[in-house]
Amino acid sequence: MNPDVAQAVPELAESGVVPREIAPLLLRVARGELLSVHAELRFLLYLGVLLITGGVGVLVRQNLDRIGPVVIAVALGLAALAALAWVVRVAPPFSWHAVPSPNLAFDYVLLLGVLLAAADLAYIEVKLTPLGSEWPWHLLLVALLTGLAAFRFDSRVVFSLALSTFAAWRGVSAGRLGSTLWAEPEAVRWNAIVCGALFAVLGIVLLSTRRKAHFETLAVHLGWLLILGGLGSGLTESGGTGLAWSALLLVVGAALAAGAYRFRRFPLFAFGVLAAYVALSRLVIEAIAETAAAALGCFWFSITSILVIIGLVVAQRRLKEPL
Amino acid sequence: MISDLAGDLARADRAEAVRNAARGWRGARVIDEAELTAIRARYPDDRSRMGPVFRVLLFLFTLVAGNSLFGFIGVLSGIGGRERGDVLAVLALLAGLALAFVTDVQIGSLRRRQGGIEAATSLMAIGYVLGAVGWWIFDHNHSSTAAVPILCLLGALLCAAAAWRWGYPLYAGAAAAALLVVLAHLPLGRLWWIVLPLAAAPLLLRLSVSPRLPPAHRASCTVILAVALAGLYAAVHLGSWEAQAIEDLGQRHQPSPPGGDLLWWLALVATALLPVILLALGLRGRRYPLLLLGAGTAVASLVTLRWYVHLAPLWVVLVASGAVLMAVVFALRRYLESGPDEERHGFTAAPLFQDPARLRLLEAGAAVLTLGPEARTIHEEPKFEGGGGQFGGGGASGQF
Repeated sequence: MNPDVAQAVPELAESGVVPREIAPLLLRVARGELLSVHAELRFLLYLGVLLITGGVGVLVRQNLDRIGPVVIAVALGLAALAALAWVVRVAPPFSWHAVPSPNLAFDYVLLLGVLLAAADLAYIEVKLTPLGSEWPWHLLLVALLTGLAAFRFDSRVVFSLALSTFAAWRGVSAGRLGSTLWAEPEAVRWNAIVCGALFAVLGIVLLSTRRKAHFETLAVHLGWLLILGGLGSGLTESGGTGLAWSALLLVVGAALAAGAYRFRRFPLFAFGVLAAYVALSRLVIEAIAETAAAALGCFWFSITSILVIIGLVVAQRRLKEPL
Repeated sequence: MISDLAGDLARADRAEAVRNAARGWRGARVIDEAELTAIRARYPDDRSRMGPVFRVLLFLFTLVAGNSLFGFIGVLSGIGGRERGDVLAVLALLAGLALAFVTDVQIGSLRRRQGGIEAATSLMAIGYVLGAVGWWIFDHNHSSTAAVPILCLLGALLCAAAAWRWGYPLYAGAAAAALLVVLAHLPLGRLWWIVLPLAAAPLLLRLSVSPRLPPAHRASCTVILAVALAGLYAAVHLGSWEAQAIEDLGQRHQPSPPGGDLLWWLALVATALLPVILLALGLRGRRYPLLLLGAGTAVASLVTLRWYVHLAPLWVVLVASGAVLMAVVFALRRYLESGPDEERHGFTAAPLFQDPARLRLLEAGAAVLTLGPEARTIHEEPKFEGGGGQFGGGGASGQF
């Protein structure tokens, strides 16, 4: 309900600014006489998928001995098959462009089917070990199959799942970005950087070839987060190694900010500015640590923040980011 | 000057509300670009605004700049010992007042709105004043029993003033929450938590849609209503009654009450009924905040039910509730879509003027965080154990 809009709509319709035929609908929405629950229904469906997959996880863990591995594997497989069969039946024909979902439930039944199938594959791998010591490859297999499903059925949620499963195959996950990545061996750091670069390149390819170009945002943003997270984890290293990672993050962050500024990519601009600022501050704090650290540190952050604020205000005036 | 600022801000916010609605209409393609431009010309923006990304960046860097400048001055003051705290408290108070003035100037004569900087200076203004007063209270040996309600009362007053003057609904919510903490310290604190929200809710409901109030104040009333009703639910909740949570918050520790007496049964009934009442009121009046609160408290009450009554194993509860939830949504969608013009009783499952692309991007981001599988541990790669280990794929992570 929005009284200001309710007051404005008749005036706008009267003066011909808004077509008269749609004014009644706009007015009903503004007066709260018509309320859309579209987003809420989507959220509830998402919650339903989370609850079911969570329940399946608990079932498998708690009832393994009682039910037996074959029954669990078959049951999971059948449930996944049922969900995916429905998706295949109602799915619109494939297109390289964005395809509207045939109905509200489509994306979520697809997500449920993919998650159950992935759980089944993981379970079979653990219990029946078809890949033996090569078991990590099952994550790659799941990532590829999930990616195929995302492209075929045009699902951004499933595409994000494919990317995160691929990253998990290389030892990187959202949980680790916040914790153990910082203490992990060099390999994980490089994996994060290489994964991120791959995702970013994939996004650029999708956009330039105009094939599922609407997936580009997701791939590029996740890619840059991984690259900057990987580089940023190097800041915790001491001595020359830490300085080298800081310098690298500074260069990459500044380049990202400059490129994003040029192409008006606002979130990427923010990533770049923040990364470059953190890296530069790390270098400066390292240099002044031996002297009057507290006073100079505070001085550095106050002055440079003000400079960044001025720069941002100037940049916004030129870019004019939409509200 | 006070009324000028409030009046100017109200006019700017009302025009912004229309432009914002027009952006939604354009996103849903019910108007074209020329019509959007015409609406913008009819409801012009006299404020300096920033886009969301720049707003967040400016907010963060202003916080860093303000706090490090204060730290720099504090370090330079060079006073040691006990006096140092007193000097810093005076400095904090002065800084808080200066920041409040700066915020006022930005929102008033500089006509800044949604700019990030003024939001950061307003937050620091409240924080520094509260910090200074908090230092004096705790440093002069006041017991925490008295100090916490005094600080919360001051916080409530400052936040309420900030919400009214600068039009930030978040501060209104913080003021309401702080006031609830103060009430918890009074005798019969739990009763206050029940009586005041019940008494205030009808008025707040009316004010939250009153055309007389500017959008920011209406939104403030909505947020206060949400906090008050959440407080009401916490006060009547069975678990909170058994644990004497409100009394503990008010530092009036009581022994756990006996289970099964009249008050216990009243709490049980209220825990079950309040979500139903909120949902019913929300459905009847199509009031979005009530619907959200009703849904949230319903989930909390169902979790409470599971806590007290073990109807079935956890996996059954999870799978069944997920399946029921999805089935209910399917049925609801079908019911709404089968109505005349795809609506029933003023509700529709159509997106209307929401931006579906933005919604889907949010979902995809959430999927990375909530459904992504556990990463394998790189340096343990050769160690395969068929009988267990961290495993996952496509979100199905866990130990089998």
